[in-house]
Amino acid sequence: MPDIDTIKTEAKRLLQEGVVEVVVAFKAGDTPMHPQPAFFSSPDEIDQLVYSGLCQNNLASFLTRLPKEKKIGMVVRGCENRSVDALIVEKQKSRENLYLIGVPCEGIIDWRKIVEMVGEAVLAVEENAHLVTVETQNGRFALERSILLHDSCSRCAHPNPMSADILIGEALPEGDPSLARTALEEFEALSSEERYAWFQKEAERCIRCYACREACPMCFCEECFVDHIEPRWTESGATPAGMQGWHIVRAFHQTGRCTSCGACERACPMDIKMTYLTEKLNHDMRKKYNFEAGLDVQTQPPFATVTLDDKNRFVVS
Amino acid sequence: MREPAMNLILEKQSLPELLQSWRESYDVFLPQKLERFSHFMPLQDDTAVLLNEPHNTRVPPKALFLPMTETLVKFTRFGGYQDADHEVQPRVVFAIRPCDAQAVQLLDTSFVQEDYTDPLWKEKREKTVTVGLGCHEPCLTGFCTTVGGGPFNKAGLDVLLTDIGDSYLVEVLTDKGNWLFPSLQNADDSAIETGHKIQQEAFDRMEVAFETEHLKEKLEQNFSSPYWDTVSQSCLGCGVCTFLCPTCFCFDIVDETQRRERVRNWDSCMFRTYSLEASGHNPRPSRVERTRQRLSHKFVYWIDQVNQIGCTGCGRCVRYCPVGLDIRAMLRQAQTLPFEVSHAA
Repeated sequence: MPDIDTIKTEAKRLLQEGVVEVVVAFKAGDTPMHPQPAFFSSPDEIDQLVYSGLCQNNLASFLTRLPKEKKIGMVVRGCENRSVDALIVEKQKSRENLYLIGVPCEGIIDWRKIVEMVGEAVLAVEENAHLVTVETQNGRFALERSILLHDSCSRCAHPNPMSADILIGEALPEGDPSLARTALEEFEALSSEERYAWFQKEAERCIRCYACREACPMCFCEECFVDHIEPRWTESGATPAGMQGWHIVRAFHQTGRCTSCGACERACPMDIKMTYLTEKLNHDMRKKYNFEAGLDVQTQPPFATVTLDDKNRFVVS
Repeated sequence: MREPAMNLILEKQSLPELLQSWRESYDVFLPQKLERFSHFMPLQDDTAVLLNEPHNTRVPPKALFLPMTETLVKFTRFGGYQDADHEVQPRVVFAIRPCDAQAVQLLDTSFVQEDYTDPLWKEKREKTVTVGLGCHEPCLTGFCTTVGGGPFNKAGLDVLLTDIGDSYLVEVLTDKGNWLFPSLQNADDSAIETGHKIQQEAFDRMEVAFETEHLKEKLEQNFSSPYWDTVSQSCLGCGVCTFLCPTCFCFDIVDETQRRERVRNWDSCMFRTYSLEASGHNPRPSRVERTRQRLSHKFVYWIDQVNQIGCTGCGRCVRYCPVGLDIRAMLRQAQTLPFEVSHAA
């Protein structure tokens, strides 16, 4: 784990020296498993800053919620750094208004897996590199950290922030890129009918709360297609057409933009699996265009670019 | 007037058989495992009855009375229309938690009024018998006693069950509930005593999550306070807290022209489009105003309208908020706001 005091010292310095106006990080939550995103604007507040495996949000989702010109400091892990860079590519933020405090990430702990194993009456959680110790009303449990990782983190290819202004702690070995396929293998092995049944089974639990959208740093549209009334792009409500329409189009809008952070799944109150859709699209982008979102701040996503020599003439004529 | 509560005893091992016997006359809904959580679903021949889960269903049972999407009217292309089929079979909602039952009763004040009654809500309410399962292990995130309820509160229930070991103490509270237990023995004094002791112990274990005294005045008088900026700062603006809330009942009516149906869908004051007007003006332009609306509705406007807090302390918004916002902490913070005692009669 990166040293929390070093993170705090750097965050404090940024505010003291006026490098940034606000530091976006986490503070302790009101319940033991839910640290909260926090916005520190004075050095005195930095004492509240925390960092742990339970910090489940992608803080980059707050970038587009803050004024564009505001100078922002942010504690970023690998995926958050990629999201920030993808947002810069899409001109949502200028790099000069950002200061990124990078922390190599050992993976986010899925609190739902803790609850599944030890029940809901959790009083406190402590962790080190290998073990997560959970104190509950019914006793103390030491759980292996690796089995508690969120699914998208257990297959993470890039745990290190790649363009941070400062890196706190030792860089971790890069992940195995073939792991990204694990979410897909089971799904792709199925027949098209079985795949549709899988998709239906996941989508039918949807309550249309849009937590997946709001938790996603790349879902920053002022008006989402589902909120459009004229024309209406998909059925409203919790009908099969409405729920499937939402999940399909949401995923497709992420093509070449998704950074595989998994914040959508972590936010979902109905435990809907959805990263298999975006991972499939990410895989296709890698295979067909050799592109991965957020690896630099220049390359436009393939579907956002048009060139005069496009082989489809209708695009340019 | 209601008869005094009748106390019966139900052996746990005979519960599955009893539930099945109800299916002759009722649709029976009870919490069942769905993925990693529990969910109210109809009892089938092979349904495993698992009531060990100490926590509540993920989606509150308000969905059985106000479905996420409900068709109101079907219409034709050229002006004709007909009411949608709203026939509901008599049904039992089994193992509903007291916070959720109280919430359904609270929602009656909105859907069943003197000058207007919602026929869809009323039909479902009248045809439903609620069998509550009290919480002998109240959840840490719940705060029912803080908002006037309790882990064995009887509001909105026809029957209340208390787990007393190998059996349940069955308190029949209404005539509707009485029909369900034709052949149970009366509980003896020791069973009743054990049940009441468990109920009291559970009640005593609950801590006060926040003070409710003068909370209404504080929220009202600090309408423009920076407090609202602080508590809404990390809010994502999703609908988790409202959709999973047992007392949130807002809906939006939409004409699904392709299906030729007029439907009502759950809606959330936390959404931008909720208060967006046709002109483009939005009186609640940001998460600050929307957060204020959510809290004020529950802790100010409900009290103005029906003299009850619009929250039953189930704790779902606390447990499932994607950014860990905790309404208890928000209200504890509100208690530190300045206010003047109002002298209104």
